[in-house]
Amino acid sequence: MSRTRQLIDALREELGGAAPMPPVVPLARVPAPPARVFPRRHEGSRYARESAEHTTALLGIGHVGTRYATDVVLQFQAELAVAHAAVATELPDDWAEQNGLLGLHSRVRDHREFLLRPDLGRRLDAASLERLKAGARHGVDVQPILADGLSAVACMQSGIALLEAFTQACLARGLSVGTPVVARYARVWLEDEIGATVGAKVAAILLGERPGLGTGDGLSAYLVHAPRIGNTDGDRNMMSNIHARGTPPELAGERLALLARAMIDQKKSGVELDLSQLAHELGDAARRTHRAPQVRVRLVEAEP
Amino acid sequence: MILQPLPPRILSVRRIPNADPALLAAYGADPKRHRSLGLVTVDQDDPTYVALDEATKHANVDVVFAKSFYAGARHASGPLAGEILGVLAAADPEEIDEGIRALVRCLESDACFYAADESKQTAVFPHVIASLGHYLSAQAGLSPGEAMAYLVAPPMEATVGFDMALKTANVRSIKFFPPPTETNFAAAWLTGPLESCEAAALSFCEAVVRVAANPKGEVWGG
Repeated sequence: MSRTRQLIDALREELGGAAPMPPVVPLARVPAPPARVFPRRHEGSRYARESAEHTTALLGIGHVGTRYATDVVLQFQAELAVAHAAVATELPDDWAEQNGLLGLHSRVRDHREFLLRPDLGRRLDAASLERLKAGARHGVDVQPILADGLSAVACMQSGIALLEAFTQACLARGLSVGTPVVARYARVWLEDEIGATVGAKVAAILLGERPGLGTGDGLSAYLVHAPRIGNTDGDRNMMSNIHARGTPPELAGERLALLARAMIDQKKSGVELDLSQLAHELGDAARRTHRAPQVRVRLVEAEP
Repeated sequence: MILQPLPPRILSVRRIPNADPALLAAYGADPKRHRSLGLVTVDQDDPTYVALDEATKHANVDVVFAKSFYAGARHASGPLAGEILGVLAAADPEEIDEGIRALVRCLESDACFYAADESKQTAVFPHVIASLGHYLSAQAGLSPGEAMAYLVAPPMEATVGFDMALKTANVRSIKFFPPPTETNFAAAWLTGPLESCEAAALSFCEAVVRVAANPKGEVWGG
């Protein structure tokens, strides 16, 4: 910028030339729009109405003129807030201790870094690695890992229940189970390092899943055979939506144990794993059966 | 908002690579040294004098002709006439091109009038040249490289402003252009150390703003 322009800019500030607001321009009176009330229209088709009951997706929500009804918009915003809150929640430092589990920590230092650096969430920090080597059983069939993942809310709510159910189901199928651990700031692939360190045949990480609309409390489980750093998602089998309104933890524990058993029997996991023999035991997740009507949790009530 | 720049508009730029010797002579060029001409018309004269001088610092050109038109750009003889015709002369067209580029740069980002009042009716030119080129230094009787405050405003505002600038800054006057000039403005060239020239330009500009805001002062109905 030229020197003279800088000087004159400074002078303008000094003379208060930049400060005064321009005089208020009187606004013309805007006439009120014609009163036109749109009735809330619900989908008239019986098929659409009934199928909407079988999903929690936003189907059959009607419309008011060309827009959503107010309660639909408010419900949407409330569900989004639940998801945001779940992502922002952190696992307390002493949570592992309180629940009598071995606490581990990824290389992530704080929550913001956890969200921004997935790669750091996939490795243990040095202290945790030492703790794991010293305090965990080695050479087991299944190493269960509970973790916060993207929803510490889910981990704290139903994590212990899922861990218990999974452990009991594994023992019932004759599998030895490793020392249960809790990993903080963990991503799915952390199971590779933990499983490889303790020499487990199968590593199973149970962690809070990325919150969706209205579900901040869902857990996912990822199982991998022969865990080692460098495994890809193609080597894993997973199960999502483990929560009261999806697959309850008790049922999920049974299925995951079946999956672990099949991995050890077939010595493989991921896309290569043959699940066809498990279909009858896995229940309706493996078959196309009738899906019961879904209950959408109402966070906002509309006047009838 | 006051003191907003009023950007000059370049209305036409032409180059005559190999001008006729008679034309060269008529416009003050030396046919022995000069062969090419660069012509420019702008709707603000004083920024253009500064920009022509700027051109002499960046290229081997001479300003052979630069004249303001009577009563300014609002009374121009044609859409391209503006307020001034400036003519650069050089030995070859490349030098002209280089000079024109420097001139355009100066007009676009440096030299310009400013609005001294909210309604933008009063224009003021409180320009500081940190280092004079060949053209204005010769006109002012100074050496190239000296600093100069180039101050322009309408007659009343300018006259009060000149007095203020001379009293508040360590500068001396080189030349006054009392009204009416061709464009009916009044102008003054002051020189001194660079900081003093800057202080003089600021005092001048502030005085112009104050006169524009309060034309009749304290004596008569202030």
